[in-house]
Amino acid sequence: MSGWDIAFGHPVTRGLVAATLGILALAAAVIGALSATGRATPAFRRELWLRLGSWAVLLPLIMGPILLGREWVIGAVTLLGLACLREYDRATGLFREYALVAVVVLGVVLVNFAALDHWYGFFVALWPLTVTVIAIASIPLDRPSGYIQRTGLAIFGYMLFGAGLAHLGYMANEPGYRPLLLLLVLAVGLNDVAAFTSGKLIGGPKLLPATSPNKTISGALGALVCTTTVVAFVAGMIFEGTPMDSTWKLVLLGALVSIGGQAGDLMLSSIKRDIGIKDMGVLLPGHGGILDRFNSLLLVAPAAFHLIGYFNGWGLSAPTRLMTGGAG
Amino acid sequence: MTGWKLKPARDLGLPPAERLRSHGREAGLVGTLLQGSWRRLVRLYMAAMHRLTVSGRENLPAPPFVIVANHASHLDALAVGAALRGPAARRAHALAAGDTFFTSHAMAAFAAYAINALPVWRRRTRPKDLVTLRARLEEDGLVFILFPEGTRSRDGSMAAFQPGLGAFVAGSAVPVVPCWLEGAHEAWPPQRRWPRPGRLHLHIGPPLTFADTPQDREGWTQVAQRCEAAVRALAPPPAS
Repeated sequence: MSGWDIAFGHPVTRGLVAATLGILALAAAVIGALSATGRATPAFRRELWLRLGSWAVLLPLIMGPILLGREWVIGAVTLLGLACLREYDRATGLFREYALVAVVVLGVVLVNFAALDHWYGFFVALWPLTVTVIAIASIPLDRPSGYIQRTGLAIFGYMLFGAGLAHLGYMANEPGYRPLLLLLVLAVGLNDVAAFTSGKLIGGPKLLPATSPNKTISGALGALVCTTTVVAFVAGMIFEGTPMDSTWKLVLLGALVSIGGQAGDLMLSSIKRDIGIKDMGVLLPGHGGILDRFNSLLLVAPAAFHLIGYFNGWGLSAPTRLMTGGAG
Repeated sequence: MTGWKLKPARDLGLPPAERLRSHGREAGLVGTLLQGSWRRLVRLYMAAMHRLTVSGRENLPAPPFVIVANHASHLDALAVGAALRGPAARRAHALAAGDTFFTSHAMAAFAAYAINALPVWRRRTRPKDLVTLRARLEEDGLVFILFPEGTRSRDGSMAAFQPGLGAFVAGSAVPVVPCWLEGAHEAWPPQRRWPRPGRLHLHIGPPLTFADTPQDREGWTQVAQRCEAAVRALAPPPAS
């Protein structure tokens, strides 16, 4: 089988890639039309082009590794985790605690290594082990003041960008992971867009005004309906003939993606409000930092992993402990 | 337990190029490791090429403090930095001429990640910058390495101190440590492209404080004059 056939073998993969390209082209056409007819203010047009431009760079970076293969996915998830960690630790002040940051970085690298090795035992064990080392790491400084804060920040950081996010990479151990991973990363994006659009169209009362002043209840519900429907429908094609292939399980998966995605967004809003900053970084024009874009994936990855894992398992037919050997 | 105090990086939200030149630049784990490696290299170089010796190390207080010294060559900031140990070495920032060390991105990256320099823009330092630097010195417990002559001496003799130094320490408990670096002009005078081997010796004098000095132009001049006198007093008597 050629590399092309491996990457695009599943019809859902082809469909999702085509749909993404189509939506990007459509968005460019709409913004172009807005510009040509002068229906939008120059500042708003600039903002729209900036966002579209960011997406045009981001989407290949996200979808490319998924299409390329398992090692690429895990490598990309590792880099994403480290980039998110950097933004998080600079925003919270954790970056001044070098020992703790070093432990979290090591944890992120190891948990992704466990995914790469396809060693589930180690993958799971790293959560309590890393927390243990984080709890110990700053004790020798003999500086009890602020201990709970720095330890808590480090554990939260490891949970989100290490243990949690690494589930995304671990999924690639399932030989047919491509359509599902594409669906997940695109669905959280769709979820954001659906919330924004239905919120603007329907309006109504705010969801949590102190946390995120622009979100409405109608937006949250609209996203829930839209994302659940799309995910359940597409996942139905992916999981055909497996234990996941039942309507209520597929709807549950869709709802989990939508709720997890929105919760991740609100979680980052809460973090930013608590610190008193607007964006986590400046890397992505029109989006803010990496975390501002990827917040929705953080909670979806472990939730979707364990729901699917409960019914279907992950990588059960694939060889385990590829590098470390051992009994598996 | 008191409430959590979340203190974002002072340079949060700055684009990379601006961040390198920011007075609020704070190094993370990677920056700290790079600076640590650079410090070790410099110490090796100082020991091998210049047999750097230090007297009066016991005069160094715990951070924060400001080191002032005579300025004869580009070796000065490196030699003074190499003489520091522990937290003082990690928190040492050389205040370097922005127009020399922060013009190109590559040079700025080197100045920021290796030397841990903060830019001072000759004749166009804004009052806001001085306030930021003074706040960082006190709140972050930093060590500033300063050459108040403002430029390298062309003949090895020390020029008068500029009063700007006073902005950091007048009316503050932060001490100033006067130092005299001997041999730097011979090893790397401004006229030479590269340094040559030659012994360096750093004399560290007892710290001065200016807690009662007024934070105004006159106070700054007093600070500059006292520091200049203290540094001159450390210079070895001219060989006759």
